[in-house]
Order: sequence, then structure tokens, then C-alpha cells
Amino acid sequence: MPRRIDSRLIRRACAGLLVCLAARGEAQELPRAPHADFVPPPAGSYELPVIDKAPNGRVLDSDGRRWLFSRFTRGRVTLVSFIYTYCVDPVGCPLAYETMARLRELLLARPELARATRFVSLSFDPVNDTPDAMRAYGGKFADPASPLQWFFLTTRSVEDLAPLTAGFGQDVAVQVDDTGRPMRLYNHMLKVFLTDARGRIREIYSPVFLVPEMMLNDIETLVLEQHAD
Amino acid sequence: MKPVRVDRRRAVAALAALATTSMLPAAAGADETCNSPYLASLIKGQEDYVHVWTLGVKSIGDGSDKLVTVDVNPSSKRYGKVVHTLSVGGRGEAHHMGFTDDRRYLWAGRLDDNKIFIFDVGTNPAKPKLVRTITDLASRSGFVGPHTFYAMPGRMLVQALSNTRDHGGVTGMVAYNNKGDFIAKYPMPTGTLNNVAADGYGYDIGINPQKNVLLTSSFTGWNNYMMDMGKLIKDAEAMKHFGTTMVLWDLKAMKPTQVFSVPGSPLEIRWSLREGDNWAITATALTSKLWLVKQDAAGAWQAKEVATIGDPAQIPLPVDISIGADGRTLWVNTFMDGKTRLFDLGNPEAPKQVYEKVTGKQVNMVSQSWDGKRVYITTSLLANWDKKGGDDEQFLKLFHWDGHELKEQWAIDFYKEKLGRAHHMKFTARPQKVALAGAIGDATPH
Repeated sequence: MPRRIDSRLIRRACAGLLVCLAARGEAQELPRAPHADFVPPPAGSYELPVIDKAPNGRVLDSDGRRWLFSRFTRGRVTLVSFIYTYCVDPVGCPLAYETMARLRELLLARPELARATRFVSLSFDPVNDTPDAMRAYGGKFADPASPLQWFFLTTRSVEDLAPLTAGFGQDVAVQVDDTGRPMRLYNHMLKVFLTDARGRIREIYSPVFLVPEMMLNDIETLVLEQHAD
Repeated sequence: MKPVRVDRRRAVAALAALATTSMLPAAAGADETCNSPYLASLIKGQEDYVHVWTLGVKSIGDGSDKLVTVDVNPSSKRYGKVVHTLSVGGRGEAHHMGFTDDRRYLWAGRLDDNKIFIFDVGTNPAKPKLVRTITDLASRSGFVGPHTFYAMPGRMLVQALSNTRDHGGVTGMVAYNNKGDFIAKYPMPTGTLNNVAADGYGYDIGINPQKNVLLTSSFTGWNNYMMDMGKLIKDAEAMKHFGTTMVLWDLKAMKPTQVFSVPGSPLEIRWSLREGDNWAITATALTSKLWLVKQDAAGAWQAKEVATIGDPAQIPLPVDISIGADGRTLWVNTFMDGKTRLFDLGNPEAPKQVYEKVTGKQVNMVSQSWDGKRVYITTSLLANWDKKGGDDEQFLKLFHWDGHELKEQWAIDFYKEKLGRAHHMKFTARPQKVALAGAIGDATPH
């Protein structure tokens, strides 16, 4: 199971968020999880065009071993999500995690599809999210015996992380104090990236389209395409 | 399992490394109620800047198309003043703009030479920078006239108006990634679909992600939109070549599923943002009607005429529309009579006009703040369709709406300021005290 989140961190983050919103004199509502009122088109009945190629760089696995990131974006259809372990934005990392957990269940019900798929959760906080922290975050989801591989990765440094976030187009915002100094990670626009077995980005999910049933069909569409090649 | 504690000092050090000089706009958006649902946050407070995509006019200023930035924050010393202009060179029929999903870049198109300019408005919205110009739309797709720029995750969907083959109205959509690289093209349907003739024309895009549907409308081709309007309306054959359809697409599959017969050139599409609503509204330019596209009780999508705008016999020419955030009101600008009209959409099946005011000698775009209290209006429709002589006013005006009356706050005369023809508007906000890890997360167009 994923680890529990420190309630003090939640309160601190929420307070920071409210301060930021109040500073703009706005009564903003936090976005909600997506509501899908449709039946996704069947797998293989549509195409997912190549959006871009996935970037490469150096990452650390949860044992602290350093790898080329391409090791985790080749050979299987892969779902990549950028996270940080103490994120509490309800439409940020927790939503991605919840969606991927639900999708994992759907995939495990179809072992052949699960074996053709890989999940990657990559931290964009190389300081706090150590390999140990990522292992704790992943918990049993990182079970190497599972047909569905789920890797919880981090990086050694900002310099290692930069080409990965830049290449995916994953932004991250930082809260600063009154003097302009960074305080803590504040927010990021949630995106989950689907790559094919050749390491090409084929779909990008934002919060309004994180629908596990549709994502399952997207994965199967790419697996079918892979088999047809 | 014990929660992982965050070492604050280490976090500060890491984030200091992450942060760059680039700043995150609190939110960027425009006519906040008409934005793509894939955009980041919306401005629900006071917008700080209005960017106006402006058509250059020969012998006025530098004569070039330009992005004009106006300070619109009433607390600013430069409130209501032009604070920045960015000329892009030449005149190519500047028209519409759209933000990328991360709201850091603003894409702006030209209908004649098909250039698409990408401006960085996230780093410093007071001083936008041109970071890339896309020139391969026609060669990659066979389509011309990039009109609507609709953000999708990590990419931009562009609706074109015409084609390279005959410059008629048959066209399609094109997807680019946020870096500005071509991804795919999607021709508008032709032939017959669900027993309705599809004309292949395009104009606007509206997406309802909860329903997995994309809705498109239809205008006319390069041959018509680049023709002098006086000549055009006397050309009976040319007047036959306007769009008469709307198309419903399966968004995920990007395949047309249903064609609606909507005569008179349906233009801007606005989905109601009210939770539970399942309808979109549009205005037809030539027949001066409001049309509703709505799911019926059985779940089938239907399109029907629901209201008349002014006196169609006088050809008021409805152009831009702006829906209230609660889906209960709709501003409609009519170009020929210079009126800004408000419709009550309490019953979208039977909208009722409740207010009108002449806001200029010619008016085109209308953009409202999220709270509906501020209404911005510009004037230019197309370079060759704008009025002539003294009726050719070119301005940006701000009105306050108190629920009863539009009250003009200020106007900027775009001719007096030697700028050009004022067309599409987009809003941005000053950077908050939030830094963006631009060097890390920046898919900078190249």
C-alpha cells in the first residue's frame, strides 16, 4: 500500500495554497477528479499519433543504482508520471497515483496485457525523494514478481532531472517567500505520459482525462500496434 | 509505515536549484469562460494584461502585424495604457490566438500567409517574447488559414479554414506538439454522414472532455475571407461558399461521428461550464440565429435553432460570443450595427435577449472576466471586411457590467496609437510569488 501522508505536511501545504490564493483575492476551487460520461472507443479502433520522442537521461532506481532512463521507456508500453512523495494536491500526484493503482488492477486482470506494460513514477525532487523514500512510497506496487512492472525512480541531482522534465514538457512550480527565495514545492501541472515500446510519447493525460478504462484501451491499442509491426 | 519527513533546509536548497528567473503567471487565460478545458488554472480574480493580436495597416505606424499588450489592472499607474508592442513583420491577416495547456505560451495565427507565432507570455507577461514561428502548416497538411488554437495536453489543435488546392472552404485540423512540431492532420468530413451532407468546412473547436466529444463549426475559405466584403456580397456564386454544418467528433479517436445541418455559417462554439450541463451554443453569421447542440433524454446529440439575433433581414452579422461562467448568459457582438447584446440562457432551449447597447461603429470580439464584471471589446473582423472611412473604428474598450448596464471605462484608439486593427484578445496575470522551474519543465518551442 502507498505510505500515509504526514498530516502536518498536508496542513502546511494547504495553508500555503490558501495563502497564495488569498494573495490574489480569489475564491478558487480546486479542480476535481475527472468525471467521464462516455464509453471509450474500443482498443485498436483508433490511432495514437506520435507526439514526441521520450527524452533520455540518468535515473536512480529504488536500490540506488544508476541507469539510463531509456531502460524504462523501451520494450514495453510505459506510463510515466512525475511525482514527489509528499505532494498533497488533490489533482496532482495523489490523483495520478490513484488512477495508476486502478489501472493496475484492470491490467492485472489481463496478465498478457500487464506483461506488455510498465509503470514509472519519477520524482522531481532529487533531494528529499531518495531511493529509500521512493521504495517506501512504492511499497508493494514495486513488487518485481508482479506481471506489471512498476518502477519508482528518482535522480541524483537537478542536473540529471532537467533533461527529463524538459523533454517531457513537465513543468513544476515553486513557492517562494517574501524575499523571493524558494520555500517548498508548490504545485505542478499533472500530466501522465504514455510511451510506446519504442520510447515515443503517444498520449498525454491531464486531470480531465485520467480515465483508467480509456487509458487501458490506449495501452492495448499500442500493444496491438506493436504486434502488427 | 512511517511518513517520510521533509528536511526543510534540504528542500530549500533543492528548490533554489530548481527555481530560475522565470516566473509562473498566477494564471493566464482569456475570455476565461471559453478556454480549453485542458488549460491550467483560470483567472478568477483581476486580470493584469490584455494582449491584442493586431493587424498591421499600411502607413500606420510600422505597418506590421503586432501583439499589443495593455495594462488593465486598475491599481496600476499604467491602467488602460499600452505597455508593450511586439511587431512580427509583414501583414498576413492576423486573426486568433490560444494558450498552450501550461499557459506559458500564446500561439497566434495569420490567415493569409499561414504563419503561426509562438509568444512566451509566462516569463514576463508585460513583455511577451517571440520564441518560434511555425511555417509548415500548408506544406505538412494541405490546409491553410490557421484559425482556432485549442490546447490539448502537451499539444495544440489548430483548426484551419481553407486548403492549398483551391483556396475553398474544405479544410481540416492539425495537431502540433507544444514545441511546435507537426504531429497529425484531421480532414473535416465530406460526403454524407448520418444522412446529412458534410461540407468539409471548419471554423471553431469546442471540447467537452466529460462526454469525449469535440464539436466543430464552419465558415468559408481563403477565396472569400480575403475578398473585399463589398465585392463579396455582390458575388452570388461566392456567397454560396459558406459553411452550413457542425460536426461532432469522437475526441479520443479524432473521428467524425455526426454532422448537423446548421445553415448560415456557425462560428464560435461555447460549451456551458455549469456542472451537469450537456450543451453548447453557437451563432450563425449569415442567418443571425443562435443554435443549440444538446444531448437529448436518450443521449442522442441534436442541433436546433433556438433564438434570433436582431433583425436577420438587416444582416447584423453576429460574430463573437462570450458565455457566462455559470452558463446562464451570453454576450453576442453584431458587427454591422456595432451592438453588444446580452441573452438570458436560463432556458438554453429558448434564449431571450435582455439587453443591448451600441458599443462601436463596428465590433467583433467580446471577452469577459470570469466574474462577468468586465467586458472587453475590439473591432476588426478581417482586413478586407472591416468598414471603410469614418466607420472603420479600431479600438479596445473596457466596459463594466453591473447587471443592468455596460459602462465604458476607457478606450484605446488603435489608429491614433498607430497600432493597426484590433482583433483577438487574451488575458494574463502578473507573476505571483511563485517561481517556475523553467529550466526543468520548460518544453520551450524551438
